[in-house]
Amino acid sequence: MDIYTSILGAADAAEHHDRLHHLAHHHAVDVLRLSRADLARRRLRTRTEAGLEVAIALPREQKLFEGALLALTEDRALVVRVETEHWLRLAPRDTAAALRLGYFCGNLHWRVRFEQAHVLVAVETDARVYLERLEGLLAEGVVTLLPDAGAAK
Amino acid sequence: MTRISEMPDSPAPGPARVGIGGPVGSGKTALIEALIPIFVERGVELAVVTNDLVTKEDARRLQAGGLIDPRRVVAVEAGACPHTVIREDPTLNIAAADDLEARFPGLDLILIESGGDNLASTFSLDLVDWWMFVIDVGQGDDIPRKRGPGIMLCDLLVVNKLDLAPHVFVDAQAILAEAREVRAGTPVIGCRCKGAQIEGVAEIADAIMRAVLFRQVAA
Repeated sequence: MDIYTSILGAADAAEHHDRLHHLAHHHAVDVLRLSRADLARRRLRTRTEAGLEVAIALPREQKLFEGALLALTEDRALVVRVETEHWLRLAPRDTAAALRLGYFCGNLHWRVRFEQAHVLVAVETDARVYLERLEGLLAEGVVTLLPDAGAAK
Repeated sequence: MTRISEMPDSPAPGPARVGIGGPVGSGKTALIEALIPIFVERGVELAVVTNDLVTKEDARRLQAGGLIDPRRVVAVEAGACPHTVIREDPTLNIAAADDLEARFPGLDLILIESGGDNLASTFSLDLVDWWMFVIDVGQGDDIPRKRGPGIMLCDLLVVNKLDLAPHVFVDAQAILAEAREVRAGTPVIGCRCKGAQIEGVAEIADAIMRAVLFRQVAA
């Protein structure tokens, strides 16, 4: 098992472009796909898309990010990619409902985004957990669950 | 084989930081007391940060217990809601862990025990690398299905005091099964930390060593 204790840089940096391009042609760029929540971790043990077990142990002042380059040698590279996030798109019926929904989400420490009149809640565990909490507001009809258009980033 | 890949001028990563949260009286401190001898036996250099509301009760208990050098135990007085200092603003705990790390450069692991809280308590990953949530069978057999964020989001759910189940009229195995079901396969370990027959604590130590110390342990 390889343990990575530093980030070499960003995969999209000009200095790494040629070598990564060359390795990609030889199918030698492996990807470590992480949830957005796991990006906050300094230490974790997981598997790459190629099936290699790897561990990360970063100094406290370093943080993983989309495109973080963990390995770059003559014959292989390892790049962090963030999983596509899923969001619940919620439409409050009116201003009063929006206030209630905003308070509710904040009280549960949910990570949210806003798009026009919609509240988008990041699904960081099973979506069922969020829907169970929202059951009252949804049943009351003051909030409507809309299909996730995948617009949130 | 383990290979460490690092840049020559990169700072050392420092010890792993593991959070232990859970309701008042669920056995967080007792679990730490049971874990310490196991880590000592395995050669893991350990320190502990405890959190209490307005006292240093848990720190004093560990310091007086003779299991660990008292200087390796630091108390944080949360002052208000215990989850505030492990999630919203964990700076007091980060400072306490940084202090231990500076005073004991060879540390492998710092355990950070939250003050007793409710089922909504969670840790910031700015503070810890990995965290567990401790409940006990005496709290009732409906705790797992209440699906509090602490139960759902922790890296390891610990169900403590299995031996008390018959005395409080609950089925320990049913609680464990329900906990595994609500957590959809993420780890759950049952344990008893006190008494003649300690159970499950070595498995918890294994889980920590595997997840954040990257040491091989028997499967």
